Amino acid sequence: MLLLRDLHKRFGDVVALRGCSFELARGRMLGFLGPNGAGKTTAMRSIFGLIRPDSGTVTWNGEPITAADRLRFGYMPEQRGLYPKMRVTDQLVYFGRLHGMASADATSSALGWLERFDLADRANDTLESLSHGNQQRVQLAAAMVHDPELLVLDEPFSGLDPIAVETMSGVLTEQADAGKAVVFSSHQLDLVEDLCEEVAIIDDGAVVVRGRVRELKDSAPIRHLELDLEGDAAALLQALEGVQRIETRDGVHTVIVDAATDVRGFIARAEEAGRLRHFAYTTPSLSDLFLEAVR
Amino acid sequence: MSGLQGLWQVARREVTQRGRSKAYLITTAILLLLVVAIVVLPQLFGEETEAFRLGALGDDNAEIVQTAERLANANDEPGGPASISIEVVEFDERERAIGALEANEVEAVIVDGGELIVERTGGFFGDASLVSLLQRAAATVALEEIVAQQGETAASVIDLMTSDTLTTTSLTPEDADDETRGVVAYAGLLLLYGAILLYGTWILTGITEEKTNRVVEVLLSTIKPWQLLGGKILGIGVLGISQFAGTVAAALIAVEVTGVFDLPALDVGTATTLVLWFILGFLLFAVLFGAAGALVSRSEDAQTVAFPMSMVAVVGFFLSITALGDPEGVAAIVGTFIPLTAPFVVPVRAALAAIPAWQYALSIVVTLGFTVAGVFVGGRIYAGALLRYGGRVGVRDAWRGASE
Repeated sequence: MLLLRDLHKRFGDVVALRGCSFELARGRMLGFLGPNGAGKTTAMRSIFGLIRPDSGTVTWNGEPITAADRLRFGYMPEQRGLYPKMRVTDQLVYFGRLHGMASADATSSALGWLERFDLADRANDTLESLSHGNQQRVQLAAAMVHDPELLVLDEPFSGLDPIAVETMSGVLTEQADAGKAVVFSSHQLDLVEDLCEEVAIIDDGAVVVRGRVRELKDSAPIRHLELDLEGDAAALLQALEGVQRIETRDGVHTVIVDAATDVRGFIARAEEAGRLRHFAYTTPSLSDLFLEAVR
Repeated sequence: MSGLQGLWQVARREVTQRGRSKAYLITTAILLLLVVAIVVLPQLFGEETEAFRLGALGDDNAEIVQTAERLANANDEPGGPASISIEVVEFDERERAIGALEANEVEAVIVDGGELIVERTGGFFGDASLVSLLQRAAATVALEEIVAQQGETAASVIDLMTSDTLTTTSLTPEDADDETRGVVAYAGLLLLYGAILLYGTWILTGITEEKTNRVVEVLLSTIKPWQLLGGKILGIGVLGISQFAGTVAAALIAVEVTGVFDLPALDVGTATTLVLWFILGFLLFAVLFGAAGALVSRSEDAQTVAFPMSMVAVVGFFLSITALGDPEGVAAIVGTFIPLTAPFVVPVRAALAAIPAWQYALSIVVTLGFTVAGVFVGGRIYAGALLRYGGRVGVRDAWRGASE
């Protein structure tokens, strides 16, 4: 279990973290969201001791994180980078060994990951000879070659093509299912919604929303109501209570309403009037929650 | 994994990756060829006979010319080519002889066994070697004539002239090895100085590698900055030292094989001191260059921080010259305990047997301690400068940055 509690960090005049807290259990995947400059990278770096918080604690299984713990962590920083002139296998073996693996174990694990990413035939090529997408795969393999218990990835999806996104998603899900704790930051909210059961949204140095995506959506004070109505919709819509916002596109109205609104009654009346062509009533998307949280 | 294992992994990567890089293999090959060529080539060309053309006017010249050849070739190997040969061109008129001299057809003109005409005497472009050879030959001929006329008396005159009349008593016991040791220690210093300048920049730019390719954040999530810094310094240092040692060995073998000059025999003590202090000095400066490299994020900026480091080596080198002249003076003793100068000063003092054992031991402790401390300080600077890319970071900023 990873626990960041009440982290504060100031760089000169800039306050990067002001009471950042979240937790992550093994077997779970956490989407770590927030606008640029909200403190995501700083929080992730604090897990690896790359920055020292001014106050607050970072613990793993209830204990402060030691160098020995970090050997069982995997990290993919936002600043990607490997040795361009080093052969792919050598590179992965090196990272495995830095994490305390024996040479033979590191080699078989490295080859296993290359196999998994369809790079087995490139094992003896230098990194710089690989395409950008394949370099990203090697970067991910470098973070996982030592089979870490905790995987921290800073923007793992940025700059990936849809196929690579698919691979990345698959691997991360696999890791969480295998009992690893996985946390990654991302701006691709739809992707996070698909992948993660849990999210933490950080804004201005503090986590403002955290929890299970399902519960967050259920407990949100708003709902989405999508309506396709015949004839003059304006009059009908006026009868709807608790409307926050209406957007109309191609004759389809997307209405944000209070969660308490009696939508059932409204739909019944619309149908009685023979005006209802189509409707959908849903909890808000993660994007809505995000925008709500950081606005 | 303990701290040293992390450091070891980093060093291992440096040696295996850098060691098989084209750049390393090529520079090694070039260096080896170069030193062997420097030793061997002059030998090949040196085998040839140097030929002079000498104009002769009048009589009594032949004996001097013969004697000159005999003197110059006295040390030649039997059966081998002669060192010099003098071709005599006879003239019957002074004007024609001078004309030939001016036309560079001859290099000098000897007249009646008693006068030499040359284009100019002395100076950079003078005909000094031929002139002095002929002068010596003429003197020898004259002496031999006197000996032939006067018998034993003249022989004893020569004997008197060529031996020390006063016997000298030295208060310091005579030790023929003393001078040799000093020379060898000095040669060792030159090598250390050369190696520092040659490989210091190597280490400096090598340290920036991880920042340039941005792999550093992944590395530092696992290992400590001092492990990375120490491992890199050790790895690159080992490569540098092996290249250097290989080059020196090649040079020594070439000298031994060609017999250009006799290598001085070294006693174990002097050899140990030299090797020990070469390694101590090299490591110390490697760490300094490494810490300096931690301050820059791009190899382009490396030169600006390399300069002050090189200046420190220059100061140490000059202090060692002072120590050679006055091995027990204040400067030498102070230099013994300053880590940056000790590797230059201590070997000289040790070679001249002018350093007490406790000073020797203490200087090792001071130098080693400073080196180890340098790895940690450098590591902290490295960590502090790490997350600030672009340009150079001041030492103070980097130091403070490490706690961020």
